[in-house]
Amino acid sequence: MSGIPVELGLLLSLVLFVLGLIGVLVRRNLIMILMSLEVMLNATGLAFIVAGSRWGQADGQIMFLLILTLAAAEVGVGLGLALQIFHRFQTLDADSVNEMRG
Amino acid sequence: MLGLLGWVPLIPLMGFLILVMAGDQLSRLIISWVGAGSVAVSALLATLIGFEFLDGDMQPYRHIVGSWMTIDDLSVPFGFYLDALSMTMLFVVTGVGFLIHVYSAGFMEDDPGYARFFAYMNLFVSAMLVLVLADNLVLLYLGWEGVGLGSYLLIGFWYDEPNNGYAARKAFVMTRIGDTAMALGLFLLFTQLHTLDIQSLLSLASSQWAPGAVLPVASAALLLGGAVGKSAQLPLQTWLPDAMAGPTPVSALIHAATMVTAGVYLIARTHPLFLLAPTVQLAVAVIGALTLLVAGCSALVQTDIKRILAYSTISQIGYMFLALGVGAWSAAIFHLLTHAFFKALLFLAAGSVISCFHHEHNIFKMGGLRKAMPLTFWSFMIGSAALAALPLTSGYYSKHEILLAAFDASPVLWAVGLLGALITGIYSFRLIFVVFFGAQSQTVEKKPGWLMSVPLLLLAGLALFGGMLQIPLNSVFPVLIDQGNDHTFNLVSVITVASPIIGLLIAVLFYLTGTFSAQRLSDGGLAGTLRQFFLSGWGMDALYETLLVRPFITLSTMNKNDVVDGLYVGVAWLVRGLHRMASATQTGRVRWYGASMVFGAVFIIAIGLLS
Amino acid sequence: MNADQLAALAPIITITGAAIAVMLAIAIRRNFLLASGVAAGGILLSMLALGLAWPQSPAQVTLLMLLDDYALFTMALLLVTGLAVLGFCYDYFKDREGENEELILLLLTALLGATVLVASSHFAAFFLGLETLSISLFALAGYPINRARPLEAAIKYLILSGVSSAFLLMGMALIYAQSGELGFSGIGHFIANQPVMNTVVLGGVILIVAGLGFKLSLVPFHLWTPDVYEGAPAPITAFIATVSKGAVFILLLRFFISTDSYGYNPLLSVFSVIAMLSILGGNVLALLQTNVKRMLAYSSIAHMGYLLVAFIAGGSIAPGLVIEAVTFYIVAYFITTTGAFGVVSVLSTPQTEAGDIGFYRGLFWRRPLLAGTFTLMLLSLAGIPVTAGFIGKFYIFTSGADGRLWGLLAAVIAGSGLGLYYYIKIVVVMSMNEEATVRKAEESSGARISSATLAVLSLLLIWFGLFPDHLVSIIQSVSNTVR
Repeated sequence: MSGIPVELGLLLSLVLFVLGLIGVLVRRNLIMILMSLEVMLNATGLAFIVAGSRWGQADGQIMFLLILTLAAAEVGVGLGLALQIFHRFQTLDADSVNEMRG
Repeated sequence: MLGLLGWVPLIPLMGFLILVMAGDQLSRLIISWVGAGSVAVSALLATLIGFEFLDGDMQPYRHIVGSWMTIDDLSVPFGFYLDALSMTMLFVVTGVGFLIHVYSAGFMEDDPGYARFFAYMNLFVSAMLVLVLADNLVLLYLGWEGVGLGSYLLIGFWYDEPNNGYAARKAFVMTRIGDTAMALGLFLLFTQLHTLDIQSLLSLASSQWAPGAVLPVASAALLLGGAVGKSAQLPLQTWLPDAMAGPTPVSALIHAATMVTAGVYLIARTHPLFLLAPTVQLAVAVIGALTLLVAGCSALVQTDIKRILAYSTISQIGYMFLALGVGAWSAAIFHLLTHAFFKALLFLAAGSVISCFHHEHNIFKMGGLRKAMPLTFWSFMIGSAALAALPLTSGYYSKHEILLAAFDASPVLWAVGLLGALITGIYSFRLIFVVFFGAQSQTVEKKPGWLMSVPLLLLAGLALFGGMLQIPLNSVFPVLIDQGNDHTFNLVSVITVASPIIGLLIAVLFYLTGTFSAQRLSDGGLAGTLRQFFLSGWGMDALYETLLVRPFITLSTMNKNDVVDGLYVGVAWLVRGLHRMASATQTGRVRWYGASMVFGAVFIIAIGLLS
Repeated sequence: MNADQLAALAPIITITGAAIAVMLAIAIRRNFLLASGVAAGGILLSMLALGLAWPQSPAQVTLLMLLDDYALFTMALLLVTGLAVLGFCYDYFKDREGENEELILLLLTALLGATVLVASSHFAAFFLGLETLSISLFALAGYPINRARPLEAAIKYLILSGVSSAFLLMGMALIYAQSGELGFSGIGHFIANQPVMNTVVLGGVILIVAGLGFKLSLVPFHLWTPDVYEGAPAPITAFIATVSKGAVFILLLRFFISTDSYGYNPLLSVFSVIAMLSILGGNVLALLQTNVKRMLAYSSIAHMGYLLVAFIAGGSIAPGLVIEAVTFYIVAYFITTTGAFGVVSVLSTPQTEAGDIGFYRGLFWRRPLLAGTFTLMLLSLAGIPVTAGFIGKFYIFTSGADGRLWGLLAAVIAGSGLGLYYYIKIVVVMSMNEEATVRKAEESSGARISSATLAVLSLLLIWFGLFPDHLVSIIQSVSNTVR
């Protein structure tokens, strides 16, 4: 199968990565930040799969499974913390949690 | 017995340590026993050693206690060297020192700093003994610095009064200038001759250096600088009158008998060097002559009893320098010995006047004390007679020898010395007549106790009869050329004997009988200015003030916020600025942190790809 | 997998077992002391299990993990530190309200992640270990969940750590795409076979460095450090500062040596820039801080910079000396940091965290032993002789000088000078007269375990400072095995 060239696949994953990154930096809502983080991690997962298919190994897909699992765990903890922050600060604005500075 | 030489400077040092560590807990009695006793033991040892030395044909004896430092091929031992010269100095320091210590036990008995006083005195005596016994230049320098320290501590003894501290600092700084010159001289000698041991150094110098060459002239001149500072000769003499701020026994010990004579000792000790540099030796004589005149004139118009004696000391040491300069080495040392006796006597007697007379220093407020304090009066008489070199006193023999030797060298120098002797006669008897004769202005508070009286008696005896001591200094010094022609001998010697007597008569006319009045004399315009000029020590204090002190203080004030400090302050300021800038990056906002991470990643990728 | 390999994995298996045991203990009976005891026992067992694993080394267990002598030594170090932190945690949390037993559980899982990390030889194990460690730390940092500061610290840590993990993964993906290898030695072969430097691989490695740089709090990835250190509870901060950083650094070292990335000069330039910035930036930022935990955070940035200097020297000198220098420094750094934060944790009460410098004023008069310990730790951080920190810094200088890194050494000197100011400032504040005390911290009752731990740490510090030979010889023998 001629398939899609590796470079394009990697490029796609890079674009997704950058989009996720922009999302993390630009969005102020904590939930949106966590979602963008998820996008970033999945973009890297895509990169792994593309690379794995290039070399014809299953390793890429295994890595993707690992990435997925751990991203889920991370975001799970993140959502728990977001909940507590909402209880405490009554807002989900990421900029409002900045008591510590300097 | 000779082997105990090392103990002589050590015992006063031990006394110092005991008094420093435990002085506050000890009773007055014990303190005085420790303080005076340590010097007494040293004096006793010195006497016994002296007997053995004299018995042994006065062979120079070297005693090495231990090694101080050894670097490469330079070895500096704690070595003591005993010959007739150091023997003489030993007697002076321990003997007169002991008497002064006993006197101090009485003089200082009401002072709260009793233990501190004796501690410092012991330290001083120990350092002075190290100085005179040292067999190498480094140890001598140690003693030299030690006596400087002791002098500073003792001048500023009553430290509550700021002027005393100022006087102490002045003394220290001025002698420091001389000390620096001396240190340079020591360095020069060491680098050229590669040894610091005095005897070998001198013999090496004599064999290697030609008379009048640059090296001996330079080193002798530098050593002269040190001697001038310590002995308060021109131009470094202005500290001594101010040093009278210290307690009177201090003035007696340090500024009459011992420390100020250290310069004379130095030149005598290193005399081969001076023989190799005739120009410098001449300079010694000239300095001595000028100083004795300047100081004598200044003493003439002073009103403070101790300042008179201080200027007198400067003047008498000028005589010693004059003797050294004309090659009369033994005469100089002899005069040093007799001067120690009568000047100490004078100072101690002055001390008893001061302490028993409401702590008054101005002689014109005293009067008629002859009947109220007879012992003091006779001490003063004997001391002044010796000072003026009236016949048959000890001072007569020594000064006479000096003046005759001066004549043989140069009649000009002799004339200056003669004038000085005249002036000495005038001011010493002026002092006596004003203080002890005339009407008594106030009553005496108290009489001096036996602690103060007995040393006066002993010193008076020495001042009178000390001239008979024949110290065999010929073993150390080259014998002076013979006394010259007989008839010149007679005329010159008659004039020499007569001049102090003439001075005495002048003093009688002015101050005893009131035939002439000094008051009227000095009221006249020129005489008045002259009087002011003499009173201020020939204006040298003012000269130094404008020339050196003022500019230095101005520069220091300008540099108040130290320029060099600016570097460190600048660094601190810079770093603080950096901190503030960096702190501003910690905004506390998580998105900002994320952004910086991204920029950082881009940054390092750029570095990685571009390099 | 045969029995030998299982034996080699024994320490890791034991820690996992301990975590499960604690979970069960919590389920059976919720008691802080019980949970702590089980955890402590588990850690001790794991250390004993190291003895089982030792004969098997070097053991390549599956493609993922390489348990050689060095990995086992580092595991031992991490476990001991974990035990010390557990001790501090016990005293800190025992009087606090709320259910704190899960803390112990998370501590064990974090230790698990760290131990996997130092033994990894494959990207998968790398990522797994790192994430296990990180996620446990997110929850640990936010532990007193009802307070503002720990929450803030935790969320910041989470978001930024997520971003850095993403960078890390992207880097790994790029390398995988070019080389087809996920194992370190495979990558090493690939790089060795390349005639010219592969830009993509270089980019990938740099991205990995960016990701690891976050964990190591190197400039410019350091911004989270002071906030998280200040917000998290003191014993947890100790854990983050030591185990988390140390494990990641050891991994970085092994990665570089295994893949032979030292050959890439651009990488060394990148590291040099990062090191210089970290040393100077860390010290400058710490200079006028009034919160002790923040100050220690910034100083840890600087210390990682110092460590990097020795690391960079590996480009010009034999790996043996580099490993020796790095390992000794890490050991000294572990002891010092655990001690320093231990003091902070002893001084903290359930009501207030002993962060502000007001807590330390006059400490010498109130609690002289504690103040003495803290002084010792600060002096070691400053690199004063007689402490292990001095020997560590000496190692840094030696490797830097051998590697001719003069600019970096100058930065180390400047940084040490700056550091002295703020370390000594704390000592001065501690010796100030008690009347000027702003806050009198209530004397916490019987922090016995913490005190004992602090005593042991102080003794170790001085021992290693005066007689480092034992430790050095151990390190030398284990570092030979690193390929």
